[in-house]
Amino acid sequence: MKTTYRFEIYPNQHQSTEMSLSEMKMTEWFFKYCNIKFDKLFKVNYFLLESNEPIAGIDDFAKTILTDSVTEVLFSSESKNMDLVSYLAKRGFTEPVLCDISFKPGVTDNSAHAVLEAFKLIPDLKKYELNVASGECYFMQSADSLTDQAFEKVSYEKIANQLLQKVTIQRREALATNLRMQAPKIIEVVSTPDESTTIDLNIDNSSLLKLNTDNCWALSLDEIHFVREYFKTLDRSPTDVEMEIIAQSWSEHCKHKIFASHIEYSEGELPSHMKKLGNFEVKSLFKTYIRGATEKIKADRNLQWLISIFHDNAGIVRFDKNVDVCIKVETHNSPSALDPYGGALTGILGVNRDILGCGQGAKPIANTNVFCLAEDSFFKENNIKLHPKLKNPDRIAEGVHLGVQDGGNKSGVPTVNGAFVFDKDYVGKPLVFCGTIGVLPQTEHNSSTAEKRQQPGDYIVMSGGKIGKDGIHGATFSSMELNENAPASVVQIGDPITQKRLGDFLIEARKLNLFSSVTDNGAGGLSSSVGEMAGLTNGAIVDLERAPTKYPGLSPFELMVSESQERMTFSVPKEKIHQFLQLSEKRSVLSSVIGEFTNQGQLLVRYNGKVVADLNLHFLHESLRPMQLKAHIDQTSVEQSKKSHWLNGKVKDASASKDAKAQLLELMASPNVRSHEHLVRRYDHEVKAATLVKPFTGSEKIGRHAPTDAGVIWLYPHGGERDNAISVSCGIAPQISQHDAYEMAVWALDEAVRNSVCVGADPAEMVLIDNYCWPDPITSTKNPDGAHKLAQLVRASKAIYDLSVDYGMPFVSGKDSMKNDFMADDVKISVQPTLLVTAMGRVRSLNHITTSEAKTAGDLVYMIGPDQLTDFKKQLGLYKQLHQAISKGFVNSAHDVSEGGLAVSLTEKIMSTTLGLEIETNLDLFKESAGRIVVTINPNQQKEFTSLFATDCTFLGKVTDKAQLTIKNQFSVSNTETLAAYRIKSAGAI
Amino acid sequence: MSKKVQALILTGDGINCENETALAFSEHGCETKIMHVQDLIDQPGLLNQFQILALPGGFSFGDEIGSGQILALKLKYSLGVALTEFINKKKLIIGICNGFQVLVRLGLLPKPFTERQMTLSHNRQGHFINKWVNLTVPKSNCIWTKSLQGKEIALPIRHGEGKITFAGDQATQHNTFQSLVNNGQIALSYTEDVNGSYQQIAGVTDPTGCILGLMPHPEAATSNWLLPDGTAKKTGQAFGQHFFINAIKHCEEML
Repeated sequence: MKTTYRFEIYPNQHQSTEMSLSEMKMTEWFFKYCNIKFDKLFKVNYFLLESNEPIAGIDDFAKTILTDSVTEVLFSSESKNMDLVSYLAKRGFTEPVLCDISFKPGVTDNSAHAVLEAFKLIPDLKKYELNVASGECYFMQSADSLTDQAFEKVSYEKIANQLLQKVTIQRREALATNLRMQAPKIIEVVSTPDESTTIDLNIDNSSLLKLNTDNCWALSLDEIHFVREYFKTLDRSPTDVEMEIIAQSWSEHCKHKIFASHIEYSEGELPSHMKKLGNFEVKSLFKTYIRGATEKIKADRNLQWLISIFHDNAGIVRFDKNVDVCIKVETHNSPSALDPYGGALTGILGVNRDILGCGQGAKPIANTNVFCLAEDSFFKENNIKLHPKLKNPDRIAEGVHLGVQDGGNKSGVPTVNGAFVFDKDYVGKPLVFCGTIGVLPQTEHNSSTAEKRQQPGDYIVMSGGKIGKDGIHGATFSSMELNENAPASVVQIGDPITQKRLGDFLIEARKLNLFSSVTDNGAGGLSSSVGEMAGLTNGAIVDLERAPTKYPGLSPFELMVSESQERMTFSVPKEKIHQFLQLSEKRSVLSSVIGEFTNQGQLLVRYNGKVVADLNLHFLHESLRPMQLKAHIDQTSVEQSKKSHWLNGKVKDASASKDAKAQLLELMASPNVRSHEHLVRRYDHEVKAATLVKPFTGSEKIGRHAPTDAGVIWLYPHGGERDNAISVSCGIAPQISQHDAYEMAVWALDEAVRNSVCVGADPAEMVLIDNYCWPDPITSTKNPDGAHKLAQLVRASKAIYDLSVDYGMPFVSGKDSMKNDFMADDVKISVQPTLLVTAMGRVRSLNHITTSEAKTAGDLVYMIGPDQLTDFKKQLGLYKQLHQAISKGFVNSAHDVSEGGLAVSLTEKIMSTTLGLEIETNLDLFKESAGRIVVTINPNQQKEFTSLFATDCTFLGKVTDKAQLTIKNQFSVSNTETLAAYRIKSAGAI
Repeated sequence: MSKKVQALILTGDGINCENETALAFSEHGCETKIMHVQDLIDQPGLLNQFQILALPGGFSFGDEIGSGQILALKLKYSLGVALTEFINKKKLIIGICNGFQVLVRLGLLPKPFTERQMTLSHNRQGHFINKWVNLTVPKSNCIWTKSLQGKEIALPIRHGEGKITFAGDQATQHNTFQSLVNNGQIALSYTEDVNGSYQQIAGVTDPTGCILGLMPHPEAATSNWLLPDGTAKKTGQAFGQHFFINAIKHCEEML
């Protein structure tokens, strides 16, 4: 007889009955954001265990597994061994209310998976068929008399996600009788699969568009017509599975149609500060400006170290004699808007899989992450009421931060670099950028590891997680603006432990030469991974019923396009399949043969023997014609874009001018300058023991609170040369987009580069990654200013082409996300055009490593860089000269000048040390412009240092042993004051 | 050529720090083998050939239920006999961070084969912390800290559950602590309160000094280049390496 037990885990009688710090923080949160005062809040975890028959002595087993005998006790539905009401009374509860939070059926439940595995370790329990679900009990008490509905609502504000979880409220009577313990039950997914059907496209346009919306295809009418014409030539209608595969493959997310489109760019009269580019046509932004720049640089500089660029999951470069390095940066914006934690977690795990699926499989060694977020306080201060469909931006911030923390920490990959960018326009869609660097041997088994080598006849093997309904239509969904009807199934939750096992297994199998190729299952699921891999052999046959599922009831199309996480697709030569599957089982990784690669030119998909898709690969991948788009910008469109801003006129003007010292202190505490140390220190930034420059620096005495410019990763622990490292840094400046997208892109690229130069990377060996996050640039009735946004896209792309070519730094990988708009009722919130540039450079010797903080009193302070960055070639010259100075050992510290200008940069150099600066300058202390770096040098080397620079090397003053910043004839401010302003949010929170 | 000391470093199931832990040993002339937990379970006899066993840091089983809990159960049920034999032979064991949590939950620290008196619970702050901390190394039986005893050292911590907590009421807790002090079993202490740990304990050794469990990461402080600021890289000391040097030296003398 099926039996289900419920086990709750409580602190034992020796533990404190006071609220924990996290519980206290949570009550503060509820008060701040919901205006509800909980005087008590207490959280415990519980598990449901389902067995095919009753288990004798289950409480003892459960105690062993679920509790820590030193601090915890078990409350069991079997023995009902506890009087909950008097237990809660000891914690001060008089009127406890329970918010019981459980997962909705089918949602990934990581705790339950782990606990199930733990139960299965016990020899006596091996004979039972077990299932586990996890949940949380929040006992709360408030003097405000709240209804059950109010408790439920407030739970969804903070402790539960309505898309994933269910909240049940219980009060005193139910608690006294332990109602929840009486008939516990794990809710199963109930779903009936749909047979695969054919879809008649010979219907009128409005019916086609309805079909398109109902199925979440996100195709354009032209594209549907194109499909219709194609199937006419085949004399049949497409199946639902075929339409789904086509929709996934042609989604903006997978195909990058906007970057591939033909664009006619025109300019009218422009504001005087904007660079005139003229009128021209671009055949493809990607081919012209991104790959175009790389190809030109590769030829101009005769570069030999670009190993694999643009065609794989990540770009591979050779910055070491022994190993190659690969890098990829992704965005995960739409999922993070719906479920911030899950979205960011799957973002980081997803980009890790890009690295695992790069070449023959690389090992992730470092993560980066950049968040673009809004702040609730901004809207409060300006009395702006947000649309009810918008999540509290602070909650989004908490969620995405925790997601990246868990994703990186649990995978054992250090988060070495990143940024927090705050702007009100990210309230509609937060931007979550996740990057990963990997290493792989240059050759293994006598072949290059950069190549994919699948052959016709190789098995298609899916490894890792099982398939569920989670993440269906992720790729097409991210190509749509966010609206109120977004399907719940688009949310995916990551499972770090499954992925960790999968990753470890993959590297082990690669070393044993057990597969011929691998790629990740990301957006588009099997449709995209098998579809792409089949391109190389020219065909594949997939038998969908062989793919393992989380629960029964998945339709064939769901199996094909589900984006359930933690899956990789391998091609395994037939003679190696036995060994591959054996190792997989030993490593607790689920692997299933689901088909085989062919050379017949078709992607053939069957379900229980019946053909459900038979698509020509050429049609699928090569036939789509580029879109024809128009981009236009002029004085009027620039003004119009400001006028049509959703907050136009609603934001209070900035306060009146202050003296320089007050201005500096205010800047230090402002959202885009102030410290995020309390958040960053929750990321493990030095696991793998190779992080040479960490996110913070400073002196031991003051604590290390000052920001560094870039992460530096030692290659030696990863199989590289002993005296070799790489830097990773980023640049981003969305606040400049309204001014000019060209200038914004110049800033982003240069900032990434100068950050890496600061830490000692060689500008001659540096590569770039571009990540665009744009508001919809295609004109439509809902989006009248598409042409203007497209013009901004062209200008930004032209800028990074111009700058990268002059710097001689190639792009090796990149990604774009093109629909970062929120729309509901008549509110439309678009992100500012945002470009993140990530730079990865080679640090040729550990002796070149330079950190940002001032080191020695008496050192001299110089600023390197022009007043305005206009001559890109000359700027590269400056970076080379500075690098020479660094490699000769002249430079004791280097720090870039960015937000807040020179004043902030100087402050950051000393605020976390016992040293000071005495500066004499006529420069505008607060001017923000690209291309500048402040250095301190040993006075004995002054002559040699300055002789390296022909121009743009400005003496500013010297380092003193008095802990304050003094700007002669202007002001003086102590480090204590500046550091306190800078740490306004982080002090006391670490 | 003389025989080299052999160290076994466990990996798998979410262990993350196997490579740097192996490197910390091999940089000082020790032979290392990184082995998947499952492979050792399949052939427990392999443990015999090693003088040192390392349980590295990580997030075994995703830290679900309690960090180290499920890996400890796995080792207990599948390798209990082999581990007991290893310990009885006075061979060396180190558990770092998650490895420490595993040793504690296995009941091997503070004293093997006795009722559990100690655990590692959530940090006072309720979250994960990565920072460098200063530590004192008290005089103790610990073989791993031998050359460091009496010194103040710096190592990074990277954990969310590092608060040492003792069983029973306050008096019992105090007695347990006092007996650890008296037995020379406190191997490391933080110089300030970093996570709410009882009396700022950071590391504990068993009565023989062969088994060390510690929350800070010595394997991440093995080179000056890894030190946390520019000045430290030039003038600081990478104290972490001495844990490994001490253990290898001890085993060499035993070989």
